[in-house]
Amino acid sequence: MSPADLLTDVLSDLRFRWRALFRRAEVEREMDEELRFHLEREAAKLERRGLDAAEARRQARLEFGGVDRVKEETRDARGVRVLETMLRDLRYAIRGLRARPGFTLAVVATLALGIGANAAMFGIVDRLMFRSLPYLRDPASVNRVYLSYSFRGDRIRNAVLEFRRYCDLAASPSIARSAAYSSADLVIGTGQDAREMHVDIVSGSFFDFFDVHPVIGRFFDATADSARAAPAVVVLGNALWKSRFGGRRDVLGQQLQVGAVNATIIGVAPEGFAGSDETQPASAFLPITAYGESELPGYADNYSWGWLTMIVRRKPGVTVDMASADLTRSYALSWEKEGTLVHDRTPLALAKPEAKAGSLQLLRAPEIDRKSSLILWISGVAAIVLLIACANVANLLLSRAVGRRREVAVRLALGATRRRLISQFLIESLLLALVAALAGAVVGEVGQTVLRKLFLSKGTTMGVLDDPRTILFACVAAVLAGLLTGTAPALQSGRDDLVTALKSGVREGTRQRSRTRSALLLAQGALSVFLLVGAGLFVRSLQHVASIRLGYDVEPLLYVQTGMRGMRLDTAQDLALQARLAAEARTMPGVEAVTQVLTVPLRQMRTYGFSVPGIDSASHLGQFLVQMGTVDYFRTMGTRIIRGRGFDSTDIRGSPRSMVVSAGMAEKLWPGQNALGKCVKVGGDTMPCWTVVGVAENVKASDIVGDDALQYYLSIEQQRPANTGLFVRTHGDATAHAEEIRKRLQALMPGPSYVTVMPMRNIVDGARDSWRMGAIMFLLFGLLALVLAAIGLYSVIAYNVAQRTQELGLRIALGAHARDVLSMVVGEGLRFGLAGIGIGVAIALAVGHWVQPLLYRESAHDPLVFVVVGVVLAVVAVAASAIPASRAIRVDPSIALRAE
Amino acid sequence: MAEPVDAAKIELPQGTLDLLILKALSLEPQHGWAISERIRQVSAAALQIPQGSLYPALHRLERRGWIKAKWGESDNNRRAKFYELTRTGRHQLEAETDAWRRLTVAVRLVLEMR
Repeated sequence: MSPADLLTDVLSDLRFRWRALFRRAEVEREMDEELRFHLEREAAKLERRGLDAAEARRQARLEFGGVDRVKEETRDARGVRVLETMLRDLRYAIRGLRARPGFTLAVVATLALGIGANAAMFGIVDRLMFRSLPYLRDPASVNRVYLSYSFRGDRIRNAVLEFRRYCDLAASPSIARSAAYSSADLVIGTGQDAREMHVDIVSGSFFDFFDVHPVIGRFFDATADSARAAPAVVVLGNALWKSRFGGRRDVLGQQLQVGAVNATIIGVAPEGFAGSDETQPASAFLPITAYGESELPGYADNYSWGWLTMIVRRKPGVTVDMASADLTRSYALSWEKEGTLVHDRTPLALAKPEAKAGSLQLLRAPEIDRKSSLILWISGVAAIVLLIACANVANLLLSRAVGRRREVAVRLALGATRRRLISQFLIESLLLALVAALAGAVVGEVGQTVLRKLFLSKGTTMGVLDDPRTILFACVAAVLAGLLTGTAPALQSGRDDLVTALKSGVREGTRQRSRTRSALLLAQGALSVFLLVGAGLFVRSLQHVASIRLGYDVEPLLYVQTGMRGMRLDTAQDLALQARLAAEARTMPGVEAVTQVLTVPLRQMRTYGFSVPGIDSASHLGQFLVQMGTVDYFRTMGTRIIRGRGFDSTDIRGSPRSMVVSAGMAEKLWPGQNALGKCVKVGGDTMPCWTVVGVAENVKASDIVGDDALQYYLSIEQQRPANTGLFVRTHGDATAHAEEIRKRLQALMPGPSYVTVMPMRNIVDGARDSWRMGAIMFLLFGLLALVLAAIGLYSVIAYNVAQRTQELGLRIALGAHARDVLSMVVGEGLRFGLAGIGIGVAIALAVGHWVQPLLYRESAHDPLVFVVVGVVLAVVAVAASAIPASRAIRVDPSIALRAE
Repeated sequence: MAEPVDAAKIELPQGTLDLLILKALSLEPQHGWAISERIRQVSAAALQIPQGSLYPALHRLERRGWIKAKWGESDNNRRAKFYELTRTGRHQLEAETDAWRRLTVAVRLVLEMR
């Protein structure tokens, strides 16, 4: 058969079946007419041979065989039998569901919540775990580099590294090509047009990893990676090009202010190319060197600031293990090189630096962080919520199936096969699930907006509705849910005994069925207890975290940072500017105190080597962080001085150098001694003494939940560092003053330079994020589960009460007290509740040790949490059964007994 | 098909019905009854198709695109459904006729073996 013939065949086949399926009435009518014509012609022929009309018709029919059987066979020949049946079942199901809007709504809403929650989580997990970067060429040969080394018994792991380290590792022989990137929110444009946007800061080799070409102009290339070149160029993201430049081609060569870089536009990225993060498309691409030059002076000379993600493409034939070994060798060389620059670097043999070529996705990194493992947990929780929703819907369908026993029995009696009935039940539940999937996608879209705020950085663009993978996932989840919920009622419908069903009316589900329903109910209860216990543990953890004494105040503090544009200030100029800003801020009515600072707690850490007379390699005793401030530092920050004094007006340039140490540092260096008056030589042996004049309380500088920092404070007046900022202490809530202060200080800024003001609250909240996220998500899903379980319990009890109307009426007629009936019904609900609590508590105790690492100062077996959850669930169980119970005692015996 | 068959009549081997229908339609478009009449007459009534089985076969052939159906006027001015061969149907007829000939030749050779 030629291809053309084959095509005609297929087309004609499709046309025929289409007509058979959707123009069924017409096709049937034609068949009737055709067969009637045949019989008439045959009868006419027989009549001509002398038979009378009636006999001729009879003979013709006889000759023909059973007309109905021929019709059936002809229908079969159309080849759409299965589809036709399904279509009929579908129409039947739609009719049935429309006839009971309440039931349909309940089922769809329940499943939609479950599917929506999972779709939302899937969107996030998928991006963090499974998807590679869009347009990435040959993702299988690309790895992200993860570093680790030992420091004082701990293994320190890093997913980001320094520019110099990147250059060192890039030289590894098994690596075909490597790239580094970072991203930042930078102000693009000047004046009215200035907007903060997401910018990718990438090495020139970055674009080579992707199958993309600039729409116009060119990308910068590896020549941009030389720190000496640092070309001030920028590649525009497609969206920015279209929105701000109207997609004009003459943008090439124009100047654009990006952060502190006044860059020349050299190209435009194609549509759909997001850069380093699909969820956060870059508005522009800046070379690492250009960015570093202006924002991170000295970035290329030191091994202090890890801020770059490194990706490598392995050479053909190089395995991941080989690449890791190779990178580790380079890392060791790099470590040695660093040792020649940095005083006091941990020796190679102790540090055992190791580099791993790992997955691009952070969730599959060699060691995943707290937030990532939380995300995995929460996806599991979402799946449990869906299971609970399924159990609920299965229960609803089962109780409905009981109500339909007569209908089913009648259909069986009329000759429907059990297979047909089962398939019909399944089609009904699948239909429900698919409608729920649509609703769920909308729920997921809304839910993800919330999740995005919790899990991903701001400015993220992603969605459920516009992402085919997530939609597909929702549909698969829906089909599974449909099968899961439909199977039990379907199987049971096929099991009913025909005669008893017809005789007995709608009362009395079979024992089998009520057992299934009870089991489903118990599972729901147990799972919600499990989730609520989790919620309780995370909420308690959050409480513990929130009650940690940080060693500084949060609410009244604002951090003020300057962004210089079009000029570069040397250290003296910078300090003078900061002093001017500080003086201006002090004049404002809402401001209590102001200090210049070197670092922001929880955001930046700085270390200097130092030596202490009488102590061998003192700075090996721990990681000592340096902070600097002016006279009002301790008053502004709210850090208490325990002994001695803070900085005062005598600590100025030229006067004896003063230092304040944290209590922990004092204890570490001079255990049991008075630290006041001790000498610390910051920078090393040959440097002058800084005299300890005060001991301050401990602070959390690097991590809220970690150990107290070993921190020391130097006077800015005396040390005169570069890159300082300001902390402003206001009366009351700082957020209310932020804008006012920003405006006042902005007026002092030269030219296009600007100030940004950030409440300390935001910084601390950022650090508490993962704790808050765990608490919120577990609580949210736990409550959702509780509501579903309550609805499930209510519907089962209400159904049982309805079934027992007659019996209850009889009891009341025989003189039972309303109270007895009430306690009987509520007791039934409570028994379910208690059994659910028992099982749920057992599960929670059993898996507790897996959650333990995610908790803070909270035992996974905290009795308080278990008791509270138990009480809550018992109360809910009583409440859910009290409503049907109160209906039960209002049963009018005369009506109840006459029913049916 | 478990239809009772007269001793004098030959039961159709599997799949032959399609061939016969195609052949009957090869001269001109026909309606269902005429097809069965023609086969009966031409085969000197030796081949009698159970009339009922004709229609499922016609619909199956139509689905395959070997024949197509059109409503028209019959010789007694009644509306009737006429079937005609399509181009692929004609190819199919040739192919199947050919196969049938080769089969019968081969079978005869075997049967006449001494």
